[in-house]
Amino acid sequence: MDNFGNLMAGFGIVFSAYHLALMAAGVLLGILVGVLPGLGAPNGVSLLIPLTFTMDPVSAIILLTSMYWGALFGGSTTSILFNIPGEPSSVATTFDGYPMAQQGHATHALTLAFVSAGIGALVGVAVITMLSGWVTQFALKFSSPEYFAVYLLTFCSFIGMGSASPFKAIVSMMLGFGFATVGMDGISGNTRLTFGFPELIKGISFLVAVIGLFGLGELIQTMEEGLRFEGIHARIRMRDVFRAIATLPSHIVTLVRSALIGCWMGITPGGPTAASFMSYGLAKRFSRRKDGFGKGEPAGVVAPETADHSAGTCAILPMLALGVPGSATAAVMMGGLMIWGLTPGPMLFIERPDFVWGTIASMYLGNVMAVVLVLATVPLFAAILRVPFSIIGPMIVVVCFIGAYQISGARLDLWLALVFGVFGYLLKKLDYPIAPMVLAMVLGDKTEDAFRQSMIFSKGSLSIFWTNSTLVAGIMVVAMVLLFWPLISKLIQRARGQAA
Amino acid sequence: MQNPSGTLLSRFSMEVGVACFTGLLGAIVCYGSTEFGTGWGDAGPEPGYFPFYIGLFIMLASAGVLVQAFLTHRDRQEVFLTREQGHRILLFFLPMFAFVAASMVLGLYVSLALYLFGVMTIQGKYSAPKALSVCLGTIVVFYFVFEKWFQVPLLKGPLEAWLKIY
Repeated sequence: MDNFGNLMAGFGIVFSAYHLALMAAGVLLGILVGVLPGLGAPNGVSLLIPLTFTMDPVSAIILLTSMYWGALFGGSTTSILFNIPGEPSSVATTFDGYPMAQQGHATHALTLAFVSAGIGALVGVAVITMLSGWVTQFALKFSSPEYFAVYLLTFCSFIGMGSASPFKAIVSMMLGFGFATVGMDGISGNTRLTFGFPELIKGISFLVAVIGLFGLGELIQTMEEGLRFEGIHARIRMRDVFRAIATLPSHIVTLVRSALIGCWMGITPGGPTAASFMSYGLAKRFSRRKDGFGKGEPAGVVAPETADHSAGTCAILPMLALGVPGSATAAVMMGGLMIWGLTPGPMLFIERPDFVWGTIASMYLGNVMAVVLVLATVPLFAAILRVPFSIIGPMIVVVCFIGAYQISGARLDLWLALVFGVFGYLLKKLDYPIAPMVLAMVLGDKTEDAFRQSMIFSKGSLSIFWTNSTLVAGIMVVAMVLLFWPLISKLIQRARGQAA
Repeated sequence: MQNPSGTLLSRFSMEVGVACFTGLLGAIVCYGSTEFGTGWGDAGPEPGYFPFYIGLFIMLASAGVLVQAFLTHRDRQEVFLTREQGHRILLFFLPMFAFVAASMVLGLYVSLALYLFGVMTIQGKYSAPKALSVCLGTIVVFYFVFEKWFQVPLLKGPLEAWLKIY
């Protein structure tokens, strides 16, 4: 049990007053970010990254991951109390959470949501703990062609498995790659696509893009819909909390099923949003009380919350072990890792075990702390949403722009954030997926380097992606299957139809 | 062919507009990448090789979106934005735009105070003293959090220079 020993060493690193305080601060900031409209987890993490430049990487990642957990919990709070999902991944929670709150069971719904989310997260971290040793050994066999194949797999799965139009997914992704190529080219040293603007030599920061696309874009959308909060007053009574916890064993099947779905969708780049919807759908299909769903069925809260959080935590594993983030927030965090001078990937486990295992240990503690803190602070954060939007709205705008400026202290970034904001609003309204663009901006340079290095090895022959090893060929096959999955599934259906 | 009342923009025209815009971005990427060669040099692929194909993919996929727009959205009377929504967006966007423009000249602190004050008094109908106290409070909090605690300075303007705050 090498992993267990490593994990204990990780706990040793994390258990300090400073780190615990950071964790609490991260969770509280995260809840705030999750509760406020327009400030989701990816955006919140982007805003915090400039503040971590001077921190030691272990402390920085603790702050960021804790913020992520907090944001996930905050998103569930507004889903249940206000029928407003703070995060896209908590949309499914509104289906039954809000009706439950309307019927006067707000505490019950919130407790179920938080505790099942906490359980989902812990299952996710446990899976990470068990798998990381194995993934690392696997990943040590990697060279450039394999890396390129894994990146390709990630991107293909977004195109083939996403719910959006594949053309729109490709446009979004390729634009991300395009933005990533702006500035200094790492291999030749030329400055590309700057069109004579010296401000562009340093490139377009993905953080500015995230702040614009996710933060400002979402705010514009919120404003367009005309913001109205019809909140339900929540007072958390401890007796109700324990009563709700006592009902959890009756949801054990839902819990296990949802946690497994979440782990799978988190490790493969399905992401928390898809996981929560899928888990809700399956819970409904297998339930004996199908009619209750949508009208305040407790299992309809347990299922999406568990899957959402186990997917959120599991998305960290491919980011650490392979350098392939499983969600938009994980992509932003990975960008943070690179800024702190760490290289995500298998070598990280060997060169910086303190960082990796400190992170994993902090995920156990952070999630437990988040459950406790969120239960304690629900009334406070619900009160924040009652502050008029003419104060909260401009405050969020100001924080977004300050965050954009801090990334590198460039005036141009303020304009870029504004442009990305408008662009993000348009893309979101027209159902373009935005996560692939962020992913491509973070992974763009690495993907291009892997491709060019492979091409240099093979003297320009693309066959290296099939012949270098059985591993690379296998990954390429899976990537192609995922890419053409919509077509393949149609063919299978047709074949079945003919056979029947 | 009736037009739903109050429609400012239809979904179809926005689909077409955005697809043309992304296609244009693709063309710009292609054009920009020709600067350093898009072919195969002595040291493998030239710097423009990767971006050139990226640009090409953007253009092709945008064309795909365009075709889809004509196939699925053309005859449906889908609304992208109603007049009322457009009005709400402008009320939000224009002050935000003014804030960014002002911060280029005045720095972030002064322009954020003007922005908060303006939105609170004009759109939120708050009294001037109340709005002023929120603005000053925000500036003080931001100054201590960013300049003192995290030591990440914000963009400053002539007022800070005059007050000798750097």
